[in-house]
Amino acid sequence: MMKRKLPSIIGVWTLAFLFTFSSLSGVALAEGKSMYKKTLEDYQVPDVKLISQEGKEIELKSYLNSDKPIILDFIYGTCSTICPVLSVSFAHFQRKLGKDKDEVRLVSISIDPDNDTPELMKEHLQKYGAAEGWDAFTGKRENIIEVLKEFDSYVSNKMDHFPLTIMRGAGEEKWVRLYGLLSASDLLKEYEMLKK
Amino acid sequence: MNVRYFLVLFFLFPFLLQPAQADELIEGYTHEEVLRLGEQMYREGILPSGEPMEALVMGDIPFDGRMFTCDDCHQRSGLGSEEGTVITWPTNGKELFAPRRRTGAYRPPAAEEGEQGGRRELPEYYQVADVRPAYTDKSLARLLRVGIDPTGRRLDPIMPKYRLSSKNLAILTYYLKHLSSEMSPGVDDTTIHFATVIDTSVSDVRRSAMLSVLQAHIDAHNSLSRHEDKRAASGPFYKSEKHKAYRKLNLHIWELTGPSETWREQLEHYYDEQPVFALLGGIAEGSWKTIHSFSEDLKIPTIFPITDRPEISNSDWYTLYFSKGYYQEGESVAKYVRSQLGVSGDFRVVQLYSKNNPKAVEMSAGFDSTWQQMGGLTGQKLLFMQGDVVRENVWKEVFKDDTPVVLLFWVDDSDKDLYLRLEEYRNKVAMVFTSASILNNDFSSISDTLRTKILVTYPYSMPESETRSRFSVERWLKARKIPLTDFDIQAKMYFLGWMLPGAIKNMRSEFFRDYFLEGFDMMIDQDYSIAVYPRLTFGPGQRYASKGCYIVKLSSGTSPEMTPVNDWVTY
Repeated sequence: MMKRKLPSIIGVWTLAFLFTFSSLSGVALAEGKSMYKKTLEDYQVPDVKLISQEGKEIELKSYLNSDKPIILDFIYGTCSTICPVLSVSFAHFQRKLGKDKDEVRLVSISIDPDNDTPELMKEHLQKYGAAEGWDAFTGKRENIIEVLKEFDSYVSNKMDHFPLTIMRGAGEEKWVRLYGLLSASDLLKEYEMLKK
Repeated sequence: MNVRYFLVLFFLFPFLLQPAQADELIEGYTHEEVLRLGEQMYREGILPSGEPMEALVMGDIPFDGRMFTCDDCHQRSGLGSEEGTVITWPTNGKELFAPRRRTGAYRPPAAEEGEQGGRRELPEYYQVADVRPAYTDKSLARLLRVGIDPTGRRLDPIMPKYRLSSKNLAILTYYLKHLSSEMSPGVDDTTIHFATVIDTSVSDVRRSAMLSVLQAHIDAHNSLSRHEDKRAASGPFYKSEKHKAYRKLNLHIWELTGPSETWREQLEHYYDEQPVFALLGGIAEGSWKTIHSFSEDLKIPTIFPITDRPEISNSDWYTLYFSKGYYQEGESVAKYVRSQLGVSGDFRVVQLYSKNNPKAVEMSAGFDSTWQQMGGLTGQKLLFMQGDVVRENVWKEVFKDDTPVVLLFWVDDSDKDLYLRLEEYRNKVAMVFTSASILNNDFSSISDTLRTKILVTYPYSMPESETRSRFSVERWLKARKIPLTDFDIQAKMYFLGWMLPGAIKNMRSEFFRDYFLEGFDMMIDQDYSIAVYPRLTFGPGQRYASKGCYIVKLSSGTSPEMTPVNDWVTY
């Protein structure tokens, strides 16, 4: 009798554990759907200057201290796998917002600054059909590394980089870190939560 | 009757000779056309109709083929990639249409069972079931359209689901079946054949500097110091795949003589005699263009040739250079001027150079192209013939009005008077640049007075910062009893030898040229093992590893110190 019950007890506890784990960490679990991990973070934006796709110097801190919500990711121009998906996600997000796209600021920061010139960043945005409100920054290698470290995203080899979307509501202190690739509905959902 | 039978056979004969693959062909297309259209879909994301492919990624994000394509993730070779947390499986026909074993799982040799030794026959409990069966046309169609593999598993949503008609699907499937299906030429069961191309007009010292270091690397690989042969024959079963990949390397020397117009024919002759897998290093006095074209046309990788005159291209694939050479110096000046003055304003850009000095021509082209790309107006060019006296009217033209001049003085020191004349005009220029390469690092023609004004492009590590890595190279040379004769060349070939084992190991037994090149694309950025550049960086499709160039001020005196006024990479 005990032997028969044991597997089902284990099964119930396993399910309960999985349910608890997924609720606490904010992981969306469903077959064929995206999985990502959501955490709240106290990132301090470093006092560095980056270069915009127009070749203009940008003070990152004041750029991010915007009265609009910010959504940022880390990409590089010749990235073959993760970055194209992050970028089509941003492009689609802008299209979905329609007229409201002006209410949010998207920014992609290069993790390959030696290769990613402002001109290449501009081409990258054009390739994905970026509208106004989505900027792409490059900059001095040491400044980029500082930014990556502050956002807990630094990897010594860019090929080891991971999919990350980081967002902050207007006037908020805390950053929302979403580790993993997001579906369009995930990104929209997280953005809506940011506005509340 | 017999005649009629003969005639029928006569007319049918050409059709009977068609290869078996003709059955697989898509209606109305030849084999070559299907491959071209399939490649267009795979690499450019464009359908045969000219429309972009449409797909969904992450379940609900629509995108089209202009944004990213199959080969972004699966790579040009189709052998897949690994980037961060995402592993992309091979999609070439050889892998796709065969069952997939777990990574590292025992894979019986292709030979018949009778040839397998006892060591290779694993106990049943060690044997690993297939992860998936071989794809069929039907199951591949299901995967591409709805993301479900032949076992019924739903793939990670990062694998897009494509909207494809049956015909387009058949074209793509046909292409994948032929993608990296046969090993590249230049490899056999025991040896990978490489060649190095040497222009015989190169001095013996430079030739020997390149060749001695490259050959020492090849010899080190072939010395079997890690007992690769034994391991391949009797190593543990779980490493048999790795060790079986071991091949000796054979470096062939292809010497090019006479004018460069004849080089293509010479290269093709060498290749016909002994096909090689790739070209390593190599050295030429003039432009690398002919060798570049040969490499590109025959799809043969060339890794790190010694040249300051590479072919400049954003799209060519098969030659990986150290840098853009002289072109890069001009490019860096354009970026530096923009960083200081912008691309438009109260200044004129004037380039003064001798039109028969190839270094100057490349530098000027690098500046022009970059300056225009940044939105600058084409500057004025004042050309002269080397050896001719630069007449007064040229100087007058440079300073024809009161507008401040940004002067690019791509002039060598064959006429020292030119630098003396420049000194007279130094207060009329907003900025003035020359090049360390054009002056062969000899700054004696620039007076102390002019040094207060002139800036010099210097495309290498600053001498004081290369000490540590220089020591590594020198010690390596000493251990192999190779005399230090040309540090620049020897350090570059040392670096090639440093990178080569990684790219070979990355291939495993998949000896495809594209895959070899992809091994370099995936390399970590290097600043430790390269002595002559601050760092070299890599990435998919990046073909010039050095991305920067210092711009320096010179101190006074006979051995001037160089002080950079910019970072290695300027924007």
